[in-house]
Amino acid sequence: MEPQQQAGSGDAPPKQVAQAMDRLGRAARLIAEIRLGADRILEALLVSNENPRLSEKAAELTLGEEDAMRRHFLDLRTVGKQLEDSGVLSGALRSRGNSWGLHMPLVCPDGAVVAYAWKRQLAGQAGASAVDRARLALKAFSDQKRRIFPQLEDDQLNRSNNDTIKFPPTKRPRLSHRPTQSPNIDSTEQKPMLADILKSIQTEAPGVTISTYQRLEWSKRAESLASTMNDSSLEQPKEQILSNLSASFNEVAVIELVASGVFRVLVSLHPAGSTDPDAVAFFSPNEGGSYLHSRGMSVHHVFKHVTEYADKALQYFQSSDPNKALSHLLSWICSHQSLFTKNCSKCSKLLAMDKSLALLLPPVHRPYLLNSKDHDQDFATAYHIGCSSYDV
Amino acid sequence: MTVKWLMHFQPNQGTTLTSQVMAEACAVAESFPGVSRDGRWRSSMTFYRAVPRDQSLPAPSDLPRDLIGISLHDLPNEYLFVMRSQRLILRAHSSVQTVMDKLQSYKGRFFINFEGLQYKWGDFKLRIGKCLYNPNEALRGIVMEVEYLPLSSIDKSQRVMEEFYEIWREAVASKLLAGQFINTEVNFVEYGLGDSYTPQHTAVLYGMCVVQVIASSNKNQ
Repeated sequence: MEPQQQAGSGDAPPKQVAQAMDRLGRAARLIAEIRLGADRILEALLVSNENPRLSEKAAELTLGEEDAMRRHFLDLRTVGKQLEDSGVLSGALRSRGNSWGLHMPLVCPDGAVVAYAWKRQLAGQAGASAVDRARLALKAFSDQKRRIFPQLEDDQLNRSNNDTIKFPPTKRPRLSHRPTQSPNIDSTEQKPMLADILKSIQTEAPGVTISTYQRLEWSKRAESLASTMNDSSLEQPKEQILSNLSASFNEVAVIELVASGVFRVLVSLHPAGSTDPDAVAFFSPNEGGSYLHSRGMSVHHVFKHVTEYADKALQYFQSSDPNKALSHLLSWICSHQSLFTKNCSKCSKLLAMDKSLALLLPPVHRPYLLNSKDHDQDFATAYHIGCSSYDV
Repeated sequence: MTVKWLMHFQPNQGTTLTSQVMAEACAVAESFPGVSRDGRWRSSMTFYRAVPRDQSLPAPSDLPRDLIGISLHDLPNEYLFVMRSQRLILRAHSSVQTVMDKLQSYKGRFFINFEGLQYKWGDFKLRIGKCLYNPNEALRGIVMEVEYLPLSSIDKSQRVMEEFYEIWREAVASKLLAGQFINTEVNFVEYGLGDSYTPQHTAVLYGMCVVQVIASSNKNQ
């Protein structure tokens, strides 16, 4: 990848915006390359399955693709970091556009890229583009599925079409179909149901209020939180909208966990109604607004750092125990009820000055490594950023 | 509203309070890495005394004789009243001051202004200010307000604020200021206030703090 100059703060906003747009374009191309690579690997697997003679060639191809994919992922990570640093991915940094009437391009939660933040004001545009985009993506995936897995029944296809719209994969492309299994196996036999997971977490952590929402429902609630926060003349009603458990768990896309006075955490599920967590973010209980979503970022430093750490925890849970990733994640989140009261397990203090960040923070790193037996997993320790050992 | 603590500076026995101390306190704040100055702040307090309508009749006992009125820097459109004897707090629009002037049922006896510098330090906001007795601008005390932005629950933020207070006191002691900062302890439950922090809590804090500031400045004079 050719070396890129960083648009420093000394550069004029148009250059920053142009660079950001350029990087977004590159990111999109890399994502397309990754999809193609996944496609090729699938084809190679199929071919070698049908034609054992060609399996050696298929193996070679797969290895080659794997290398290419790894390179693409690394490049994507670099571009992502650059974008993050320049403030493109976080809606809360919208004010970065300091002059010239320009703002950094904004990547909306639905994946649409808006070059100029004011464009969002045009009613329905972002929503309409998201719907179109999703429809196109669904069509592309259905075509791909029909082409690569023709042995799957047509009614399976129709059933998935009627579900809530599946958005294009975001963080990492995953194989969501297993050709070796019969398509009629219910997902309940492999994984616990969402309702059961939530019930067990509720009994495990009674201090945390858990609510579930469909995607649009959550957007409305996030906006309404902003207005209740501004009305400080009223005492905050305790436990607003208690346990809004959706009647149909098939459409739940957002889980909200609130520990009164401590945090509000949002976990998004993808696809909606499944038990696969997709993203997680921590916020202060007094924050509200449209930036409150599982890919958003709190304005407070303490919650920013916990969210960053939570991303790592989520990836760890997904890779080490995908069937129980949601349970582990929710347990881990609930252990943060003592975020502002539990001392660091290393230095025994609550607040510590982080020299590199020049901030006073409580222990925001709670180790997430799982034991080999999954009982007694209590995520009980906490460390300051400077006190936590590497890689934990 | 986010949680605040209010402290005042208690000079060592035998020393007097000067503006130099204010400068030194600000220097302590600025010595922490990552602290950035965030402008100035200003609040004011008025001590009202009841004016009896009819001098011959005794004042009705259920009306408060003294009233404290507070205008806070972060709520310019509001005015708060504290009745310490009845443990009542009233929140009103700032135009109530004109009403008070016209009614003349209570008259302002003396006035205190708080003004100083504001700092931002990560998730904390610090405000250090002089407590000036109007009208002759005599320095009565130095106060410091500490705000922790992520939390609004007094109970949940207690430990964080305590540790911050310790860190601050250690820094002040190490820079050899002639005194120390004392935190204003208030039992909010007596005033009917809950765990969720509100401007009423700030009003009560200021009411208590000023009483302590005046007491200590009278002792030292």
